[in-house]
Amino acid sequence: MARQDAAEPDIISRALAKNRLGVPSVVFFGVAGAAPLTVIIGAISAIYAIMGNTAVPIVYLVVAAILSMFTVGFVAMSRHIVNSGAFYSYISHGLGRVVGVGAAFVALPAYSLMQIGLFGLFGSAASGILAEFGLRASWYACALVAWGLVAVLGLLWVDLSGKVLAVLLIAEISLVIIYDTVMVAHPAGGHVTFSTLSPAALFTPEVGSMLVLAIAGFVGFEATVVLSEEAKDPKRTIARATHWAVLLAGLMCGLSAWAMSVNAGPGQIVAVAQAHRTDLVFFLVGPHVPVAIVDIGYVLFMTSVFAALLAFHAAVARYQFALGREGVLPAAWGRTHPRTGAPLMGSLTQSILAVLVLSAYAWAGAEPLVYVFAWLTTIGGLGVLILMWAASAAVVAFFVRHPNRENMWRAQIAPFCAFLLLSVVLAATVIGFGELLQVSGNSPFQWLVPVAYLAVAAVGFVWALMMRAARPETYAVIGRGADGRVGVLPESPIVPKGLHADPVGARSFHY
Amino acid sequence: MLSVEVTKGCGGVLADQYFLIAHEDRTGRSRLHPRATGLGLAAALLGELMLDGRVRIIEGDIHIVSRQPPGDALAHDILDLLIAQPQHRDVRTWLAFLSQDAAIRVGERLMRFGAVQPVTRRKMLSTQTLYMPNTAAQRNAAAWAPARLANMMVRGMQMSISDRVLLGLVAATGLTRYVLYDFEVHRSALLLLPSAVGSLPSDMRELVEYTEASVGSVLTAGRR
Repeated sequence: MARQDAAEPDIISRALAKNRLGVPSVVFFGVAGAAPLTVIIGAISAIYAIMGNTAVPIVYLVVAAILSMFTVGFVAMSRHIVNSGAFYSYISHGLGRVVGVGAAFVALPAYSLMQIGLFGLFGSAASGILAEFGLRASWYACALVAWGLVAVLGLLWVDLSGKVLAVLLIAEISLVIIYDTVMVAHPAGGHVTFSTLSPAALFTPEVGSMLVLAIAGFVGFEATVVLSEEAKDPKRTIARATHWAVLLAGLMCGLSAWAMSVNAGPGQIVAVAQAHRTDLVFFLVGPHVPVAIVDIGYVLFMTSVFAALLAFHAAVARYQFALGREGVLPAAWGRTHPRTGAPLMGSLTQSILAVLVLSAYAWAGAEPLVYVFAWLTTIGGLGVLILMWAASAAVVAFFVRHPNRENMWRAQIAPFCAFLLLSVVLAATVIGFGELLQVSGNSPFQWLVPVAYLAVAAVGFVWALMMRAARPETYAVIGRGADGRVGVLPESPIVPKGLHADPVGARSFHY
Repeated sequence: MLSVEVTKGCGGVLADQYFLIAHEDRTGRSRLHPRATGLGLAAALLGELMLDGRVRIIEGDIHIVSRQPPGDALAHDILDLLIAQPQHRDVRTWLAFLSQDAAIRVGERLMRFGAVQPVTRRKMLSTQTLYMPNTAAQRNAAAWAPARLANMMVRGMQMSISDRVLLGLVAATGLTRYVLYDFEVHRSALLLLPSAVGSLPSDMRELVEYTEASVGSVLTAGRR
């Protein structure tokens, strides 16, 4: 029969590819979490203001380079493990399950705090915008409105659909290009200066801690690997998209930071940033563009922060769902809503945690931009940096144990360089962390945060050891993600786990 | 409509029964995320071929045991595809492929048997054809599908392989709570569930496990 000839076009592959994601969709998914406009308007001005150092543009470019290096090994490894999970599953594959659970315990507060921090930015920016219209609303009230929306959308598992996200992102990117052009076209003192791009500035003492602030602006790009089973060509789509996401975010942030310094003048940028905070960009472009362009900027800034809030909320909920399914967290976290597939417990946990933290801040009367946004995202950023560092070590270890799976550059050189660079960044960050939070010399916050991460990691190690003793069959599938029972690497013979009374997918019945 | 009644031990009804459990009898809507339902139906269709002795699953790959055409048109069609595409052996690839239109194709088969009727709904920009039980007799047969499973479980009756595969797929895709919905009455059944599925032949258990894994990754990615 002619049909048995396999040479003809393969209808299976074509039919499968039709419904799957191409590179642009995956890039949008990754960049939505990184939210370039949020970073440019919210974070860059904050870094200028808080650090008082003008090396911001070059720092973003350096971070983009480090993360690109990291991405090489990261996506190479993603091709060899069947898992839709996140950093901790890479770590448990590369460094063992005990370290993997420790990483998971670091990841939970890290991502969670980053999301809560963004509420502070949203609240303070929204209340500022409302004030322009003569409406008085506290940052807390604005943040609560956003919180309510995110909580409901999270429970319904409405990830902003790909098309909405694409339109928003393209609008944001266009706006950033317009703003950057305007700022560079009107340089302070009449000439364009490149001094803030000079690598010499990298050797100032603050740079170490600025790197972690910059890295916080990229967080979200690693989520692309979640889509690896949804991509048209799992081998190439994800790799390309992740590189694009890192480069896009890095170039946009670096260029914008440079353009700001050109427009304000490298000597004045810090003072201007301290005076105007999140209004910095709008203040700089305001005199040179029509009012409408500034207004559009405000609207897009708010939608960008909101998209980031939603993306982080989904990421946190997904993390808890993955851990619940694997039995690291109680099984309730592994249940989803049957029809929508929303990870209910994860979503609820994050919402409740967020409202508690925000209320505590409001009750204490703390300033939202510094203590909610800057502090929490910095603390979260340190956690993510620890995860990246551990993941880069895991990639190295993984390819040592599974040689000849990728070429030398992807399997050894790039992962090793990434590991070294991230080690330097991590060390610099931990040493200078008190400075990042702007606390005085004898404040406990000088050392409290890194120690707290160490403590949660230690709790994770102990938890993993307890699991190994009490529930060895659950322990055996840690880090194997949704594919727990099948598709594991041949090198780890696992005890086949009997089907649960409440298997996966929709464990929404309480047994 | 009586043709969807139980024919014990025969594979032909596996996907039909799953379809009736996975859809609300009054509205025809899927009880699960549509992609989870599709995967469950795809697994049920593969399961039918396995029960009929046409294919086997060995370590994640589908192997064709017999090329003799099955009596059912849909099963025949799928077996032909499996034979024509020898380069694809991975169970998960086939689950993903078959899940794309499994709901329509099983719905059509049920329609041919007279167990459901096509109902066309207008949506905002498109129309959607649902296959749902419309007459009283059809509704009875549809409601019987989950009740029959629950009944057998509660009474501890001996279940055929086909029914145990059905049970495994129901559990793996997250339909358990629609079959065993009463915590008190069904308590014993819930306790029996793991052993009923665990006692399946190994390739059937593998099918259930791959379905469970596929449903998991589809839900983790959270795409429509």
